[in-house]
Amino acid sequence: MVKRKFVILGIILFIAVGYLGYTGYKSSATYYYSVSEVMKQGSSVQSDNIRVNGLVAPGSVEKEPATSILRFTLVEGESKLLVVFRGIVPDAFTADAEVVVEGYLDTAGVFQAHTILTKCPSKYVPKT
Amino acid sequence: MSEIGYLSLLLAFVAAIYTAIAFAFGERWRRQALLNGARTGLLATCGLVSLSVIILLYALISHQFQLEYVASYTSRDLGLPYLISALWAGNSGSLLFWAWLLSIFAAFVLLQKRSEGRRLVPYTSMVMMLTQAFFLLLLLLVANPFQKLTTIPADGMGLNPMLENPGMIIHPPVLLAGYVAFTVPFAFAIATLMKGGPGDEWVKAIRRWTLIAWLFLGAGNLIGAWWAYVELGWGGYWAWDAVENAGLMPWLVATAFLHSLIMQKRMGMLKVWSMVLIVLTFNLAIFGTFLTRSGVLSSVHTFGESSLGPFFIAFLGISLVGSFSLLYYRRKELKSDSEMESMISRESTFLINNLLLVGSAVVIFFGTMFPLISETIQGVKVNIGQSFFDQVNGPIFLAIIVLAGICTLIGWRRASAVKLARSFLWPLVTSLILSAIIFAIGVRAWYALIAFFLCMLVFFSILYEWFNETRARHSTSEENYLSAFGALLRANTARYGAYLIHIAIILIAFGIIGSSFFEVEKEAILKTGDSMTIGKYTLVYEKVNHYQTPSKLVVGAELSIYNNRKFIGRLTPEKYFHRSYEQPVTEVAIRTSPMEDLYVILGTMEEKGTTFKVLINPLVVWIWIGGGVLILGGVLTFWPERAKITPVLADAGVLKTQEDVEQTVEKGAINNQQEKRLACRECGAPFRERDIYCSYCGVRLKTNTRRSED
Repeated sequence: MVKRKFVILGIILFIAVGYLGYTGYKSSATYYYSVSEVMKQGSSVQSDNIRVNGLVAPGSVEKEPATSILRFTLVEGESKLLVVFRGIVPDAFTADAEVVVEGYLDTAGVFQAHTILTKCPSKYVPKT
Repeated sequence: MSEIGYLSLLLAFVAAIYTAIAFAFGERWRRQALLNGARTGLLATCGLVSLSVIILLYALISHQFQLEYVASYTSRDLGLPYLISALWAGNSGSLLFWAWLLSIFAAFVLLQKRSEGRRLVPYTSMVMMLTQAFFLLLLLLVANPFQKLTTIPADGMGLNPMLENPGMIIHPPVLLAGYVAFTVPFAFAIATLMKGGPGDEWVKAIRRWTLIAWLFLGAGNLIGAWWAYVELGWGGYWAWDAVENAGLMPWLVATAFLHSLIMQKRMGMLKVWSMVLIVLTFNLAIFGTFLTRSGVLSSVHTFGESSLGPFFIAFLGISLVGSFSLLYYRRKELKSDSEMESMISRESTFLINNLLLVGSAVVIFFGTMFPLISETIQGVKVNIGQSFFDQVNGPIFLAIIVLAGICTLIGWRRASAVKLARSFLWPLVTSLILSAIIFAIGVRAWYALIAFFLCMLVFFSILYEWFNETRARHSTSEENYLSAFGALLRANTARYGAYLIHIAIILIAFGIIGSSFFEVEKEAILKTGDSMTIGKYTLVYEKVNHYQTPSKLVVGAELSIYNNRKFIGRLTPEKYFHRSYEQPVTEVAIRTSPMEDLYVILGTMEEKGTTFKVLINPLVVWIWIGGGVLILGGVLTFWPERAKITPVLADAGVLKTQEDVEQTVEKGAINNQQEKRLACRECGAPFRERDIYCSYCGVRLKTNTRRSED
């Protein structure tokens, strides 16, 4: 008798957590692409909040002195993506670094990033 | 030298395998000679691994750069503490550290004088030695700490400057100690399943081990969060990153395990469930160790692909399949001794708390693994952001805290709902008043208000319980309130330790609620002489400082902080430019007060000014204070309990505390049950009235005459 009450409680909890999980997922799931995958997707991912992974092309980094806007090109193999970012640039951001940018692809095909993530300097692999 | 180190590991591996086999067959065939040999083998393993550790430490301290490990993680200018901590800073070193701790714990388990679980030790040691062999295999084949370089570099690459922080010296060993220590209860569980029987012995044998492991894991996680806050400098302390989750999941399941053990000890319930939990905890700990090292999940923390992956997956597979098969095989012997009587009881709160904790761990697991799952199914990696974890876990953790409060005031077995409601009265009134005050000073976010209210409710429930028990004791003894409380603490260390730990959790929750909902952030570009305001603070950019140390150039921006018009201090956020490290490291400046932290991050310095990012993080300090109380509470649970009643008063038959009243009544109830508790004449295992055959030895039971069918 008591056992059945617990089973019912368990099911209720499961449904509640499931619902929370579902709404949480909806609000925070972000597709994660590499540069070449984004280029392939093209306009279908425009204005979705996505993350893109690639390398900072050497020589492409520009910082506008007046507005502090950072521009650079994210590359992967042959694919290139122009990125625009406003905000404090993380320390580990340099040319040739592997970064993940989060933001959206605007209608002009330029990626408007609101976050730049750099790989936390590797602790377990020597810095070679 | 390093050849000896490697050879030592090889010998240790052989010894571990031999020991495992000798324990297994020595126990199975009851050969004392084999068991003795196994004992020696285990101690030899411990000695050999320790030798390797000493050799590596020596190499680190004496700058032997021909070893790849020493060259990768140290340099000539590194101080002694960091040279030593380099032992666990790198992949192979930390695996060696794991193996070393395990060998020490195994030796402890073997040599410990014990009254409980003696017959379980051989199989327990076998399981620990098999795990040991696994880690040694990794060290020998894929992660050799004694790997030599073809040329000897003049100087090493040095420690990553972000790790040059006292928090980072203690975080890995404490966390690893927690992971390793869970091998012990797991091994005892497997031993119990292999030996068979009603499964009561192992619970008493592992209590202290489980507590230590849980404490270390919890402390390790908190230190990691603290380090992230003060060193990584993004303004937060927890990002639901894969590696962070990897340390949290085993801790949540371990908390559930601790509670279900209590249920098993007191009521003989949840025996199978406890086994399930420790199997999960141990495997999650191994999984956590593995996640930090492989490139399986792209996380800002994980470090490159490595060949360790397949080994770990194989180990986890064997471990999980083996454990659950054994459990399934023995499940009938692990029947509960008694049943839950009512949903309104302390047992009920324990059970629901278990469901919630495991539920949270499951959610975190799926959220963490989701990118992999989605990639397999959809072909695209989908990242789960922080808000998912916050949204799901917030209510779950709050519910767990509320349960802790109910648990404090509710009785075992069947409790009266009316009495429970009544005992909540004073805490409720106090919490409502304080919540009203919080509302009055401007806090309007309803979710935060409810969360604060519930936390305070539980906090005052615990305090109220303390007060009641102290008052009861005071009224029957000569002591004043203070010494009555002290005596209560000494006589009930386990229970009061638990209360203290619950208080600690509430303090931590307090800090998390404050900093999650009321964080304020502002960015500004300032030239020297400019100022900015945030909240009630005004920050004036005074000047730039430079200074040099042997290893780095430090650039700091000095700010004067004013509260309205009053000068209250200076903050100097800095950037370090290391000689041997390409990227600058930002050092944040924090001004802590009980109400909030003022947190300043130095951005770039350019012609048009210096960028500052300033945050106000309310109540963060309570997280660290809560952490300290957690450790205190944990230490208290370890303390042996002073005799409950002094001889004189025992003769007088005076019951000193409410707990004693409770216990006497409870003992009576259990005695009543025990009179009905029947034991098989052949093997001694308990059985219930309606059983016809003994579930352990299978003999037909003759005492069963209740059935009216025949």
